[in-house]
Amino acid sequence: MNRKKEKRNAQIKEFWRRYKKNKAAVTGLVILCVIVGIAIFADLIIPYSKCVEQVGADRLQWPSAAHWFGTDEFGRDLFARVIHGARYSLFIGVVTSLIALAVGAVLGASAGYFGGVVDNVICRIIDVFMCVPPILLSLAVVAALGTSMRNLIIAITISCIPGNVRLIRSVVLTVAEQDYVEVARSYGASNARIIFRYVLPNAMGPIIVNTTMAISDMILSAAGLSFIGMGIQPPSPEWGALLSAAQTYIFTSPYLLAFPGIFIVLSSLSFNLVGDGLTDALDPKLKD
Amino acid sequence: MGKEILEVKNLTIQYRTDLETVYAVNGISFSLKEGETLGLVGETGAGKTTAALGIMGLLPERTAVIPKGEVKFDGKDLLKLSEQEMQKIRGSKMSMIFQDPMTALNPVLPVGKQIGEALYLHNEENLTNSQIEEKVEETLELVGIPKERKVEYPYQFSGGMRQRVVIAIALICNPGLLIADEPTTALDVTIQAQILTMICNLQRKYGTSVIMITHDLGVVAETCDKVAIMYAGEVVEYGTLRDIFTGDRHHPYTEGLFGSIPSLTGDSRRLHPIEGLMPDPTKKPEGCWFAPRCGKCTEKCKKQVPPVYEKDGHQIRCHLFDEQDTEEVQ
Repeated sequence: MNRKKEKRNAQIKEFWRRYKKNKAAVTGLVILCVIVGIAIFADLIIPYSKCVEQVGADRLQWPSAAHWFGTDEFGRDLFARVIHGARYSLFIGVVTSLIALAVGAVLGASAGYFGGVVDNVICRIIDVFMCVPPILLSLAVVAALGTSMRNLIIAITISCIPGNVRLIRSVVLTVAEQDYVEVARSYGASNARIIFRYVLPNAMGPIIVNTTMAISDMILSAAGLSFIGMGIQPPSPEWGALLSAAQTYIFTSPYLLAFPGIFIVLSSLSFNLVGDGLTDALDPKLKD
Repeated sequence: MGKEILEVKNLTIQYRTDLETVYAVNGISFSLKEGETLGLVGETGAGKTTAALGIMGLLPERTAVIPKGEVKFDGKDLLKLSEQEMQKIRGSKMSMIFQDPMTALNPVLPVGKQIGEALYLHNEENLTNSQIEEKVEETLELVGIPKERKVEYPYQFSGGMRQRVVIAIALICNPGLLIADEPTTALDVTIQAQILTMICNLQRKYGTSVIMITHDLGVVAETCDKVAIMYAGEVVEYGTLRDIFTGDRHHPYTEGLFGSIPSLTGDSRRLHPIEGLMPDPTKKPEGCWFAPRCGKCTEKCKKQVPPVYEKDGHQIRCHLFDEQDTEEVQ
């Protein structure tokens, strides 16, 4: 057991050694940790009540010691709203990507592994979804279901699934050809067991990278939909919704746009950088 | 020697696509008793591996068809079983050693887990996990790997060691039949000898029957009881090791094979290959498949499919023997 642990540690060390070579990825990881920390400890940084507390006297104040990011048209503290907004964005980004990953893994793996009719049916359905631009697809779903957090999650998950299925199918296609899959069949493993124990673990590298990148996309889509009023509704302090509300004051109070905008960019960028770093660190062909 | 464990009769396998049909295996027959070793010998593309996969039920579903034939294993016709029933037999009652140990192991599972898989899947004695672990350790030691290494991953093993792991995977359930598909081709000669000796010892210990697929006549001489020489999907000669190696009548192809072995004692400077190439397996010839490359080819050979002639269990598929004191079978 001890030996096993050592081995694990050695693998992690090796992985970290290659990951940290990529300085941008390390920067991304740092930003990501900070944002995740903000989301987790938001209540400790500044209580939620500050997000909704409307102080008539403090309307549209520029950043100051009292209000670090200034205040909005109702006199609410923007710093509090941006900090608590991190929870929405990260939650939506992670949850949608994971659901899309799960669905994509099942569909993509079956298509790639079984081939033939199964493959054809799944791929043609995916093709249909691929024809519609993702943002339009999300819009249509929200328009049909109505605006709410749940529907927003459904909408952007659906737009993310086709890409996942395609990617996972293509990786599974190459892995399923490997000899060890044949060996597994030769000692009587069932198809489900082969897929989950042999094929998917070996296809994990690209899938992890893709999911990390997808989180970044999902954060952007969620912010985008909220911006055009199809996502999370004010007064919830979602970053996209903050941007949307700030449009009116773009010339008089540009900071209202700047801070949520910066956070959207940073969170999305950090996931992207981490994804890039993972690509290099997980790719066995780049092993030196 | 005990009872018959495997009987293959007239097994025919074709790969069909929209464009063409490949006649991969054309009616081969052989049988195997408990504890015996059969050598399946032939050039690349002779259909040896296809035959093996056919017996295991591992042919690619979409292209391969078995228009006729029978594979009797333990009294059951394997070709008539459902996939679920085959899954139960594969691994527990028969298993296969694959050619290339470098790719035959799952890189993300420790070898101990992979060896235990078959036992876990065919757990007929309701072993507990710790009992399975014990059995895995025992099997590892059996193939000459220290049991402490079971937690290591395949990349930490050399080629020869990996082949031992592959053999351990195949043997853990003590199968009645082991198909070894060129188990030593990817290994260097010293390791080759070790692995072969090991397979033979394990076979003696457990009374396993083995089908040894190879193109190396040296391997056959060392390990087999019976030999089937395959050419273009047919068994052209079939007999005991003695029939094939010391008998005085042979199929011209067998003679060619033996003629291609470079002599250690003679001073010939050149190798003696069989001229020509394997025929195109998508075009069935009118007569004998070997006719275009055969030195003793007659007009009859080009037009008529040769039947199998048998004398004392030694079968040869060639027109040359029809005038002699043999009897026709099939």
